[in-house]
Amino acid sequence: MDTIVAVATPPGRSAIGMLRLSGPRSVEIIRSLIRDEQFTPEPNRVVLKRIMAADSDEVLDYALVSFFEAPHSFTGEDMVEISCHGSPVILRQLLDLTQRYDARLAGPGEFTMRACKNGKMNLSQAEAIRDLINAQTNAAAQQATRQLKGELSAALQPCKQELISVIVRLESALEFVEDDLPQLQLAETERGLIKIIGAVKDLALTYATGHLLREGLKVALIGRPNVGKSSVFNRLLRVDRAIVTELPGTTRDSLSESISLQGIPVSLTDTAGIRKAGDRIEEIGVERTHRAMADADLLVVVIDGSTELSPEDRSVLSQASQTTHIVVVNKSDLPQAPKLEEALDQYEVVHLSALTGEGLDKLSTAILQPFGNIDSEAVGLLITDSRHHDLLRRAQHSLEESLDLLRQNTSEELVLVGLHNALKFLGEITGETTAEDILTQIFSTFCIGK
Amino acid sequence: MVFDEVFDVIVIGGGHAGCEAASAAGRLGAQTALVTINLDLIGQMSCNPAIGGIAKGHLVREIDALGGIMGRVIDRTGIQFRLLNRSRGPAVQSPRAQADRALYRTEMRATLENTPNLHLRQGMVVDLLLKNQKIIGVTMQDGRRIGAAAVVIAAGTFLNGLVHTGRRTYTAGRMGEPASIELAEVLKKLGFPVGRLKTGTPPRLDGRTINWDAFESQSADEHPVAFSFSTERIEQPQIQCFIGYTTNNLHDAIRKNLHESPLYSGQIKGVGPRYCPSIEDKVVKFADKDRHQLFLEPEGHDTNEVYLNGFSTSLPAGMQQDLVRMIPGLEEAKIIRPGYAIEYDFVDPRELGHDLQSRRIGGLFHAGQVNGTTGYEEAGCQGLLAGINAALLVQGRQSFRLSREESYIGVLVDDLIKQGVDEPYRIFTSRAECRLALRHDNADERLRGYGRGIGLVGDSDWERFNQRRDRIAKVKSALKATRLRKCDAVYSAAAASVSSDLGESINLAELAQRQGMTTDMIQRLLPSEVQTSTSTGDLEFALADSLYAGYIKTQKVAVQRLRHHDSTPIPQNLDFRALNGLSHEMAERLERARPLTFGEARTIPGLTPAALSTLFVNVSTS
Repeated sequence: MDTIVAVATPPGRSAIGMLRLSGPRSVEIIRSLIRDEQFTPEPNRVVLKRIMAADSDEVLDYALVSFFEAPHSFTGEDMVEISCHGSPVILRQLLDLTQRYDARLAGPGEFTMRACKNGKMNLSQAEAIRDLINAQTNAAAQQATRQLKGELSAALQPCKQELISVIVRLESALEFVEDDLPQLQLAETERGLIKIIGAVKDLALTYATGHLLREGLKVALIGRPNVGKSSVFNRLLRVDRAIVTELPGTTRDSLSESISLQGIPVSLTDTAGIRKAGDRIEEIGVERTHRAMADADLLVVVIDGSTELSPEDRSVLSQASQTTHIVVVNKSDLPQAPKLEEALDQYEVVHLSALTGEGLDKLSTAILQPFGNIDSEAVGLLITDSRHHDLLRRAQHSLEESLDLLRQNTSEELVLVGLHNALKFLGEITGETTAEDILTQIFSTFCIGK
Repeated sequence: MVFDEVFDVIVIGGGHAGCEAASAAGRLGAQTALVTINLDLIGQMSCNPAIGGIAKGHLVREIDALGGIMGRVIDRTGIQFRLLNRSRGPAVQSPRAQADRALYRTEMRATLENTPNLHLRQGMVVDLLLKNQKIIGVTMQDGRRIGAAAVVIAAGTFLNGLVHTGRRTYTAGRMGEPASIELAEVLKKLGFPVGRLKTGTPPRLDGRTINWDAFESQSADEHPVAFSFSTERIEQPQIQCFIGYTTNNLHDAIRKNLHESPLYSGQIKGVGPRYCPSIEDKVVKFADKDRHQLFLEPEGHDTNEVYLNGFSTSLPAGMQQDLVRMIPGLEEAKIIRPGYAIEYDFVDPRELGHDLQSRRIGGLFHAGQVNGTTGYEEAGCQGLLAGINAALLVQGRQSFRLSREESYIGVLVDDLIKQGVDEPYRIFTSRAECRLALRHDNADERLRGYGRGIGLVGDSDWERFNQRRDRIAKVKSALKATRLRKCDAVYSAAAASVSSDLGESINLAELAQRQGMTTDMIQRLLPSEVQTSTSTGDLEFALADSLYAGYIKTQKVAVQRLRHHDSTPIPQNLDFRALNGLSHEMAERLERARPLTFGEARTIPGLTPAALSTLFVNVSTS
């Protein structure tokens, strides 16, 4: 097994940058880096060391070095972590050095792969850890922990049991024709199937929410110039991120930031106001606005409440109509234009004062509202993994096919094709059911045998 | 070593495995000896006088397609043919026939006696002779030594056989025949892992003492479906069987006397088959059932003996008589032979390769109940495979194996050698992943070519097969080419039969898939020249192919996707126990199965997905 290396902290400048080594040569490599062949690190202790540049006696950096001895490390192998100053240049040099000393740049997920291999975790735990690392909010982290604990598997168990019992009934009917078995009750079998389909479908449907938890919701603020999009943006961020002036067209370029709305990760984009462009820069800005609109899961159309609805506002509203959108009437702190309410009577609007923050909670709720019940603290298990979602959808599809065949009185062996497939799909989440398991259930359910 | 006689192949046992093995080896040109304790009982049906049934019938047709003999023998001696599951799809239909027990035996013996290179020898094998971990011959009880480079053990229930009736036990291979004790000891001494299984048989009644009117009759099919692809017509006169039921009083009486049953007193240690439970088991495990079904099966044309199927028991013989009389219609019935249970040794089949040769001793093959299976058909197909491979071995030819995808025989052997057995193993259609592709009527299409290649299928059978294949191809293209159009006279009649819209036009292949369309109607719609050259069987074959084609294609794609990583090799010397994250139990399962590829590992039962992923991570990175 060779020794692998990777930078463990995100790219870019930071206070500390960390590099990890895993494999049997980890200690030798750190010895070379600090030019001390006698160095025998004590496991789980942090020591300050001088990292030397390769071909000179210059000190590259002072770094904190920790050693984790196999098998008591994340990967189960000898591991060394080097925390140095977070300069991309230093990290780059350090990375080159370790490779010169025979470390290999790790492939994506290779540390976790080695952890799996050495029995430190299984694949589903590894998937959950990946989710945990990528989790953008508390709620998403909570879901990952849930799956790590095997709650999904547990939730599917009753479904799988019911499916097996339907399979058992059909298999017995065709396998033991000479036995005095109770007549196959079509209606009962049908009811069983409908129940299973319902449960699988419900679980698959939670993916929409689960997916949001994991991937986040893309929201774009759009409107004609000077309606206060950037103020609303700053208000939602709770930071003065975007430049706000009284001049129309201040925002020239789209600007995105991540926020958490009631536990849901939201990527919020402030856009340049939509109008006929006055110059090339503005033209590009508007183009980017259109791109942001195309990407967004939700558009927030911002309207100036102190003026009547302009043709430009109407144009923005009509452009938004293809996407899920909400309408925010901003500047509620100013006297409101008298005919505005009537002009917007076909829309549900949220009144907001970006200046005072009044109506902000309502806006947060309105943003999440189209995506169903995602009170992330209260909901139960959600499907967040696209693989799980795909398997559930395929299971559902197979079951529906079987139900159709059953209703058409098709011979059991054909009805069973979809049922066995569905069982296999569910089995990829919960663990396999073998032919032997099914036979066992047949023999314990029915008195078989002449 | 000095031998009294030397052959190429010795087959120990003249039951259903032994007969197929000896016949195949002899016909392949190997000088073959069939050694059995009693030559008069060759091909004896120890239990139920019937062959076939769901999945078992498939096995017999596969045996026949490869060039085995079971199908031909039952076709000549079957006295009640029925195709089971007629109302269901063609893949799960399967032929079954009641045999005339004595005729079957006679016919089998005659078949063997007419087999070239085959020599029958009476006697009991008591020792295996080895040299350098390879078989060189056997020693008989009477002191004779017979040499051979390949030996097939097909000893059935005879290895250490112990019969139970009530509290009485005695050693026997079958009721009234001596057990094979020494050979069983030899296998143990050679280090084979040996286990104990149990099976049972019901009492046989005197037909003259049965009140037949009290039972429902069950008739043979009007048009019997033969097992053998070579059989033109079933000649035996067909008889009726009868169906009756037990009563609650009888159940109470059995439950009251359970202490007399060796099954419940703890006297029997071996595991019995769950799908063939004794009547004691039935009334205990399914206590809420107020009746159990029984079949009265006449044992032949020239005997009064009647087999009481469904009443397998090891209760004391005297008590069996009293219990039988509690069955409505059997108030006056007399038992001719009491039922009994028998325990016997089997050798863990995980010792074997796909050719059924032992990995421990070169040239030694195991077939039938010695491998933990039950059933004549299961035994027969293993015997055929072992006999073929024994002959191929001595002739220096490449061994022959079948895959799960192409045959039930492949499923059975693969299950045996990979999973071993916990109870007597029986074939079921649900054990086959590709069940829709493995029909009884296409066994020839699947396997005839192999039989021909090996040398077991003669010219006339091969010719017959090719003709049938051509006829089916012709009818298939006619089904596609013949279209019914709205303007055709028959269109409206066809539309009425399926009570649905057929569009502007529809071809016969599509029309056949519609609910309400029968094979007969399709046949009448075929062009007249195709109609005359096509048998109903040919048409059914073609229609079954088109019925399942879509499913089989989808299944193949799914299998390919699933098997994407299956060719990833697992190093032969990989120490499963040294893999971190594999529990002791998982490592043990892997060690026993010794998979060569990730694909093989994936099919090992009881391996958790986590264990598989651990293994995969290891083999794919090492």
